[in-house]
Amino acid sequence: MNGAAQVAVSAVATFGFALIFRVKPRDLPLAAAGGAMAWGVRLLAGAWSGSDPMAYFIAAIAVGLYAELVATMMRTPATVIIVASIIPLVPGGGMFYTMSQATAGDAIAAATTGFATLMLAGAIAAGLAVAAAIARLAPRGLRQRARLRRPATPRDRNAV
Amino acid sequence: MKRPEDPDADSALRVAADAGRLVLESGGETYRSEEAMLAFLTAFGVWNGESFATPTGFMLSCDGEDGRSRALVRRVRTRQMNLERISAIDSLARKATAGELGFDAVEAELCALETRSSYPAWLAIPGAALGAGFFSLLFGGSWKDALVAGFVGIALGRMVQRIQRARVSDFFANIAGGAFTAFLCMAAAHWNIADAADKAIIGAIMLLVPGVTITNGIRDIIAGDLVAGIARMTDAFMSAAGISIGAGVGLETWMLLTGVLA
Repeated sequence: MNGAAQVAVSAVATFGFALIFRVKPRDLPLAAAGGAMAWGVRLLAGAWSGSDPMAYFIAAIAVGLYAELVATMMRTPATVIIVASIIPLVPGGGMFYTMSQATAGDAIAAATTGFATLMLAGAIAAGLAVAAAIARLAPRGLRQRARLRRPATPRDRNAV
Repeated sequence: MKRPEDPDADSALRVAADAGRLVLESGGETYRSEEAMLAFLTAFGVWNGESFATPTGFMLSCDGEDGRSRALVRRVRTRQMNLERISAIDSLARKATAGELGFDAVEAELCALETRSSYPAWLAIPGAALGAGFFSLLFGGSWKDALVAGFVGIALGRMVQRIQRARVSDFFANIAGGAFTAFLCMAAAHWNIADAADKAIIGAIMLLVPGVTITNGIRDIIAGDLVAGIARMTDAFMSAAGISIGAGVGLETWMLLTGVLA
């Protein structure tokens, strides 16, 4: 499957998970677009850097920034977009393979897969933290300009 | 500063705790639950609110106008992702902080959130089918594999929901889900309904697998919520263990059955 097809497929997969997670109907297309972007950025960053954790890190930054942008524009918590859009990146398969190798008694394979899985999860978490920090540090004017409705009210204090 | 329309500290504490519990039950982060509770306490004019949340429960305390401290503990037993509810509580907290909503209105809204949902339950069915089917494609499965994964995903979603409603442990629900998925996908591959059983299995199992949980666990730890993060990561490893034990059982059972039949 080529890159464009993969991006389209991950959009639909993300849409499915957004339904399961009960994303507000209004935000569904935005969540699906975020999932497509996550996979697209991962493919590009992977081809550029040649390293999986780096690709996931960059893709997570992209998802985080996208979520912050949508959050300020639509007055919805960034988490809602992050949780849905990060789905194509998230190392669920790795968790599964790690534990199935462990239950099969193959300690070395389990350790290798487990380490790679934790690296990916860590890279994604770090990328989201970086994006959140960038959004907090962005000049106020920039944030205000991105806002569509209602005046500013206190937002999340926590950076992640 | 205390205003005449503010509730007494006990009522404020109770309503704030309801909000925090709803956030955790809807799969929200622990810091979000803590912040929502503090936002409501502050909005209701209560002093020195402080909270500590983990994925399985939280403590909340504040000082009343009589100078005494009050505290309560709530356990959180069910966790089901519900992002719509998280958005609703977020905007409720924002309105309460801005003074647009009084105590009674907040209490009524929270009560309504407990039961109301603009999402019909059946929407989870196409959600599971799309999620499982298209993940199978993304992992290199064929269209036939995706179709099998989609149908198995629908059945899997309903089955796990049913098991969880019976208040059996999540660990068992994951074992049953893994076994069910592996068995059905092997059968489908055997009768040529699917091309590659493993691609169908991994697609359908994406519905159970704790990818978001492990990522959120590490995010909690980065944010400094160490206890919550460790708890979430343990949760992720335990559910992955359950699913893979189940998948192993399903595969073995299929092998034994076909061995006997052949």
